[in-house]
Amino acid sequence: MVGVTLRHVYKKFGELAVVKDVNLEVADQEFLVLLGPSGCGKTTTMRMIAGLDSATEGDIYIGERRVNDLLPRDRDVAMVFQSYALYPHMTVFKNLEYPLKIRKVPAEERRKQVIDAARRVNIEELLDRLPKQLSGGQRQRVALGRSLIRRPNLFLMDEPLSNLDAKLRVQMRGELKHLQHELKTTTIYVTHDQIEAMTLATRVVVMNKGEMQQLATPKEIYNNPANLFVAGFIGSPSMNFLQGSVANGVFEGKGARIAGLHAPDAAAVTLGVRPEDLTVCGATDGQVGGEVFSVELTGDSSLLSVRVDSVLVMARVDKDFTAEIGAKVWLKANPTRCFLFDTRTEARIA
Amino acid sequence: MVDTVSLQADLSAARLRHFWTKAKGWIALAVIAVALVQAIFPIVWLALNSLKNRLEMFAVPPLWFSMAVTSENYVATFIDRPFVTYMLNSLIVAVFSTFFSMLIGVPAGYALTRFDLGKAKRHIAFWILSTRMMPPIVTVIPIYLLFSSMGLLDTKASLVIAYTTFNLPFVVWMMKSYLADIPRDLEESAMVDGDTHFGAFWRVVLPLAKPGLAATAIFCLIQSWNELLFALILTETTGANTLPIGIAGRVTQYKTEWGEICAAGFAGSLPIIIFAFIVQKHLVRGLSFGAVKG
Repeated sequence: MVGVTLRHVYKKFGELAVVKDVNLEVADQEFLVLLGPSGCGKTTTMRMIAGLDSATEGDIYIGERRVNDLLPRDRDVAMVFQSYALYPHMTVFKNLEYPLKIRKVPAEERRKQVIDAARRVNIEELLDRLPKQLSGGQRQRVALGRSLIRRPNLFLMDEPLSNLDAKLRVQMRGELKHLQHELKTTTIYVTHDQIEAMTLATRVVVMNKGEMQQLATPKEIYNNPANLFVAGFIGSPSMNFLQGSVANGVFEGKGARIAGLHAPDAAAVTLGVRPEDLTVCGATDGQVGGEVFSVELTGDSSLLSVRVDSVLVMARVDKDFTAEIGAKVWLKANPTRCFLFDTRTEARIA
Repeated sequence: MVDTVSLQADLSAARLRHFWTKAKGWIALAVIAVALVQAIFPIVWLALNSLKNRLEMFAVPPLWFSMAVTSENYVATFIDRPFVTYMLNSLIVAVFSTFFSMLIGVPAGYALTRFDLGKAKRHIAFWILSTRMMPPIVTVIPIYLLFSSMGLLDTKASLVIAYTTFNLPFVVWMMKSYLADIPRDLEESAMVDGDTHFGAFWRVVLPLAKPGLAATAIFCLIQSWNELLFALILTETTGANTLPIGIAGRVTQYKTEWGEICAAGFAGSLPIIIFAFIVQKHLVRGLSFGAVKG
């Protein structure tokens, strides 16, 4: 059982750097999630850890060993691909058996381990089937089974749930978390789905355009985003942003005036506030005013969209809330739950 | 109140559509029948003629089936002349040249799809293709002189080498596109699972490329089997002569031995026809490989 360390890792294709200066220390048994939009470099980073791509600069350590020059087969990692990468011409049994067969494990021992792995992921009845005869969820389990059969030091998972339907995804998330806890294996998980990140991770690395934006626990990332990108990426529905300026602890923007902020004066500021931190109120103590754009019932609550100048602001309201579209409405924000970002640098100021 | 006029118009339109759908089916069938006849007729005619004597072959109006089936053509071809040797030579040369072409060409095609060779890749690939753009006859004299200096004239080996050089570019290009269709994920998964790159190629990629391999191998076999020009130039004696030479040789200075040509032609087509039947399942899949995804 080992940790993973990345120091000043770069991946460049000619002049283009797709991964820039990634520094990471993954603790033993940690579930680390690399989170970010498509093209942010998270999959490339994982592939460098696996050995499928080489790092242009920097050092990668698995445990105490520097692995930059090691082939994937010598790194003792197991990877679950987004497409599952099941060998189409082999039965489920043979797919699971493959890693052991390569290592010349005797047939009887192989058989035992295959059945054991199959039991762990609930696919014992499927051992004689071909991948094309399996559903998406079943294929995913086979891929998982194949990765855990070797008891590797490190699990790498590249968006393994993205091809499943929503309901199955929720179920598999729980199973994955349980499995990882049982096996006590360090796991690095790549996803663009922030809900997966929040629910599965011990820590999250948010990446954008090849660079690390923030490395922290899910709670920390949610409550204390380091910059505008992280604030806007995490949270569903996403954080509202209003442009304006701050003077004497008061934020002033088009259609918004929020007082009680502990922030230095600044001319170009973006204020961020989450939908759940906005409440509907009367005109007297209202801080953000606009017309109702829509009210969407989500089941346990409703999402109220308010057009404030040219921007849509979303607030989470009671599920029984009703309002006429176009009606004037006022919202107020909890000033301690507002975030201020420099509009130009996108860094967090308060 | 039902509008009977428009109702009738609708019904006629529906009937017309139905008729047209059926008509399209019949037209397609007719086109296929014509193509089939055009493809099969020569072989069938060869077979039928090989059992006729000279008189019946040139009967007017044309005689389909022989009234006096004779084996004289087959006897003349296979017993009086060394056509069995010719066929064996053709077989050896075709099989070996196909084998070597595939042995070198498949890994080459794989390298061109998978490995990053920078700008060189495009140029190498084009250069390989360009060797097929030349009319083969242009290379006859240089190849003759080359093999002469190597002492390889009039040997089966010279034909194997020559045919391999023709087939190799074809194999590289065919396999390049078949192998490109196999997702990279699969061999990467195999390598992470603990296999070497070659092991992943052998155990995972090649089995999935079977349709492409079968299609390519058959084309190579057919090319080698039918080749006449280089066989004529590079070989002289029975020991190395191939079937096409034997058949062409029946057109002599004084007369054309049609009967023997038909017998040799039909018998000579049989090995390839039988082989194609055996692998046809793979061949059809190979030709429509683009639809298959891993």
